[in-house]
Amino acid sequence: MGPRPMIRGSGRWDKNAKVPMVKNIVFALRLVWKADKRLLLCSFFNHTAEIVFSLFVQNILFLKVLLGIIDSKGDFKEYLKNLFLFLALAVVLKGINWFSSYLRQVSTKKVLKELNNMVFKKAIELDVSCYEDPAFYDKYQRATQILAWGLFDNVCSNVASIFGGVVALLLVVGTVSAIDPVYLVFLLPVSLVFAVELFKSKQVYKRDKEMTTNNRIKAYVQRTVFLKEYSKDMRTSNIFLVLMERFKAAIEANLLILKKYGLKLFVFSMISSLFSDFIPLIGTYAFAAYQFVFEKSMTVSGFSVVLSSINSVRESTMRIAGSFEMLSQEAFYFQNLKDFFDYETKVESGRKICEKIETLEFKNVSFRYPSGKSNVLENVSFKIENGETVALVGVNGAGKSTIVKLMLRFYDVSEGEILINGINIKEYDLKSLRSSYGVVFQDYKNFAVSVYENVLCHECSDEEKERAKTALIQSGIWEKISSLSKGGDTVLTKEFESDGTGLSGGENQKISVARLFAKDFSFAVLDEPSSALDPIAEYKMYESLIEVTKGKTVLYISHRLSSAILSNRIIVIGNKTVLENGSHAQLMELGGEYSKMFSLQASSYRKEEGEEEND
Amino acid sequence: MTKEKKAHSMPSNIFFFVRLLFKVSPLLVIGEFVWGILQILPSRLISVIGVKYIIDVVTSGERLERIFSAVGIIAAVLVLSTLMSWLYREFFWNMEKEKVHYGLNKTLYEKAKKLDQESYDNPDFYNNFILTVESSSDNIQNLLGLVRNYFGNLISLVTISGVLISIDPVCLLIILVFISGFLPLSRKIGNLQMGRRIDNTKFHRRSDYFQRIFYLQEYCKEVRMNDISPLLVERYNDAADDVISNQRRYWKKISSLYMLQESGIQICGFMFALPLYLGYCVLVKESITPGDFVAAFNGAHSIAVSINFLTVWAVAVFSERGKMIEKYREFLACDFKIKDGEKVAEPSTPKEIKIENLSFTYPGNSEPTLKNINLTIKPYEKIALVGFNGAGKTTLTNLLLRLYDATEGRILIDGEDIRDFTLDSHRSRFAAVFQDFQIFSCTLKENVSLDKEAVDEKIKKALEHSGFEKKLKKGLETELLREFDDEGAMLSGGESQKVAIARAFYKNCPYVILDEPSANLDPVAEYNLNKAMTEASENKSVIFISHRLSTTVHADRIYVMENGMITESGSHEELIRKNGTYAYMFNLQAEKYRKEA
Repeated sequence: MGPRPMIRGSGRWDKNAKVPMVKNIVFALRLVWKADKRLLLCSFFNHTAEIVFSLFVQNILFLKVLLGIIDSKGDFKEYLKNLFLFLALAVVLKGINWFSSYLRQVSTKKVLKELNNMVFKKAIELDVSCYEDPAFYDKYQRATQILAWGLFDNVCSNVASIFGGVVALLLVVGTVSAIDPVYLVFLLPVSLVFAVELFKSKQVYKRDKEMTTNNRIKAYVQRTVFLKEYSKDMRTSNIFLVLMERFKAAIEANLLILKKYGLKLFVFSMISSLFSDFIPLIGTYAFAAYQFVFEKSMTVSGFSVVLSSINSVRESTMRIAGSFEMLSQEAFYFQNLKDFFDYETKVESGRKICEKIETLEFKNVSFRYPSGKSNVLENVSFKIENGETVALVGVNGAGKSTIVKLMLRFYDVSEGEILINGINIKEYDLKSLRSSYGVVFQDYKNFAVSVYENVLCHECSDEEKERAKTALIQSGIWEKISSLSKGGDTVLTKEFESDGTGLSGGENQKISVARLFAKDFSFAVLDEPSSALDPIAEYKMYESLIEVTKGKTVLYISHRLSSAILSNRIIVIGNKTVLENGSHAQLMELGGEYSKMFSLQASSYRKEEGEEEND
Repeated sequence: MTKEKKAHSMPSNIFFFVRLLFKVSPLLVIGEFVWGILQILPSRLISVIGVKYIIDVVTSGERLERIFSAVGIIAAVLVLSTLMSWLYREFFWNMEKEKVHYGLNKTLYEKAKKLDQESYDNPDFYNNFILTVESSSDNIQNLLGLVRNYFGNLISLVTISGVLISIDPVCLLIILVFISGFLPLSRKIGNLQMGRRIDNTKFHRRSDYFQRIFYLQEYCKEVRMNDISPLLVERYNDAADDVISNQRRYWKKISSLYMLQESGIQICGFMFALPLYLGYCVLVKESITPGDFVAAFNGAHSIAVSINFLTVWAVAVFSERGKMIEKYREFLACDFKIKDGEKVAEPSTPKEIKIENLSFTYPGNSEPTLKNINLTIKPYEKIALVGFNGAGKTTLTNLLLRLYDATEGRILIDGEDIRDFTLDSHRSRFAAVFQDFQIFSCTLKENVSLDKEAVDEKIKKALEHSGFEKKLKKGLETELLREFDDEGAMLSGGESQKVAIARAFYKNCPYVILDEPSANLDPVAEYNLNKAMTEASENKSVIFISHRLSTTVHADRIYVMENGMITESGSHEELIRKNGTYAYMFNLQAEKYRKEA
């Protein structure tokens, strides 16, 4: 009778839950099963053996058998025989428990690995916009917490605990009903605990959600305190006081929320205890007492076993309820993982293989970010021909980087179209399209793999290393790399590689540029490739850029107009659209935005020249 | 940063932390003790004394009606203890915990803020430091739970043992023999667990890194444009495999030891030896009653649970926590290298800054970063530091701010060694905009003032000077970044830099340090900034570092740094005439403009 109400109860409450619990837990179990079957199997063996041993064998069966012999004034030899039988049973159950717990510990890491691989595979397919959309990113974060916190393991344990609890309950209930079925009346209310616990867990979730922002502030303050990048500002100003005030305010806000939910949670907890503790325990005592006094029908062994049973029933139901509560919370997280896996990529790949980018044309392109209220680009049109070197200039925030994002199909245009070799960019296979470009981003990143691997993006043979070396020489960093203890095989991190190395900003940038050099691209995009370099390094970099990109199409974005002169053509972006388009000489003659900027920047150098002449 | 050599003992560490908690919230600690008793003792007493009382009344057949009063007492105890437990748990506990979190972390943060800058470069110390800060709330939560259960179990153990002694002291003796026989294994298990965790952390550090790449926004573009993900996945898998084999290696030993211990105590002791003796007493010797048998049996079970917790569980977790707390204590006790002087620097007009024979070597490096630097900054002078990446320009400013102290030589302001001043008063004489300046998740106003108090008018003026023109919804009160405000303003690199520069304009101080102030600015903004800088810093001394030599032209004096030394100095004209490194660098940059001119 114990388990049936539970199943009914759970089904009923699921319908009202915002996140379908059973569905999500089934999803979770399937995922784990797919990753490594041993985890789920061992969890079941482990928990069932443990619960049945501690809640039934040790507490009830053992006592019942021994007290039965004592009650009937039995033989000590028989008592001894039973004792040995139990010894054997205990060894078997414990053996199962130990072995499965060992396997489980190994398997849980295996599952972690497999799940991570699934997440990686999906993550690569995500649109770039996902990373810039806080709502999606939050979801993604919560999904990865399943891995970070080992929630997948918890789900298995909780499901297995429920199973083990049910088995133990059945055994106990069977034993009790053999003594007197009336006792079961007091055990029935226990089923209501599930409903109460589910209500309670929803309140807790709601409460925690209300505290999210405050907890984020707490975490932020903590981070600023221990991250190196904040350390200097923190020491030379009073921003610490500002942050501490924020921290305090967050705590105070949390206190109010905790207070608000306190009473509700207290009431729920008391109701839960009423059903799980008060009614069964007090009821059983009262009934046993009644029988003793008025019917004189209870034996000492029967009474003792029933009393121990209550404890077992209570503990197994508490376990089941606790597992349920946790499962319902875990279900929320798995919903996030499910949404993450179910995400359909918006930037869909076309079929056409892009072999070479000959021409690139923006035709009346307008664009607004998915979350944006207004257009970032309006009616942008320009064409880049094969072999041209084009500079994209404009003030900060004019939309230069957005143009690059559209070209690479990180986003799709809102209006108009982008044509590559005269064909709409959307028709091309995404991977082949992107590999036709060579890109150095403004916020370039290197990886904690070897220098060679950073350049070639895969493990390399000796022959390939030569190729990487050439690229490193071209970007002007080889001298530094060859001085490292392991040369180009040195890993770019000190975080977990004791003989790895950390490079400066400029050096890192050169590695990123070398990556471009080593790539077989037809169209180069350079977003501020020299921002972290000193003048001489910058000069050298441009020299090798010209060398390497000979015959290829190059688009670069730069603040330093001195480098814009190197291009065949300059496109000036401003007011969300193309303002001017032409060669340096043409634009200077035009006397528009570009010539104004150029004159400003050149003025200090020119003035100098004038002064020198005066000398 | 000098560490105390001798580690504290585990109990000393636990006691230290409990005392710390007690200082912040005495009621919480007391509450935990009471809750610990309420949670454990009533139910166990009922199952031992309650049952024995009822069975004894029944078997003696006298005064049966007494059973009802016994049931009444049991019910009352149960309801009352549950009521109090929940009241405490849902109201008091949650809120007090939050307060304790604040109290303890505040102390930690204040200490962290005073740490030497150097600490961030020392990986060992830094890892411990992060671990300490991050585990602080964990420590609170876990330790409270542990102490509570420890106390509850201890009281229950003592009480139930007392009951057992009154029935038959031999029972207790049997229990103790088995426990003391197998107890020492816990220590071994604990050490293995610790070793496993330490090794896992090492491997996890690697796997976490590769995991992060797929998850962090800053890598997403690079990963999409280069086909590097298979390599990254492979590296992740290698690290994950290391974790798996490490796990296998340790758990083989750990679970065998667990097996040995549990068979000894639980099975041989409690399921065999004790019932054997009890059965003998009831059936053969007839020295105890069936009521005693049940009480001893239940009591032994409760003692087993208590002892299992107190020894196996608590000892393992306590010693692990103890080690965390040790780190915590070490951190709180650590000493600073950069010490406060005694003098308080008064706000004043700019005075002469003199750098004498200054050399500096980063801790752990063999090569000095600065070698025998000598320079003088006269009041109101604008000087520029130029040179290649890694020449030591930023390091020099770090020394001026006493983020580090010189290895040799000294820095004098108005003839007084800067080490003679208190750190706060010394640093408050400077406004510094670092190359890697940070925007904080605070309001625009706070981001400029970097202080609790601010004068709106002055802030507006500073922003105007730095060329920050972006109109924000809530003006100065707008939150920057979207860390926790979805309405927060996201600034571009150039706008952020303008905010950072405004800090220097805002701060009322005689000296300004600007490290690459125009790196993220477009030409128009750079030009305007140069102009504003000249205006706004008229009555200040200014030190600026720049790659763009167009900005250094206007400096009163330019210092060229190479390999940690000053190789050239003089005004722009002098250096051009000298035709050295500076002239070479300048001409390289100016060349293209000249050609076009």
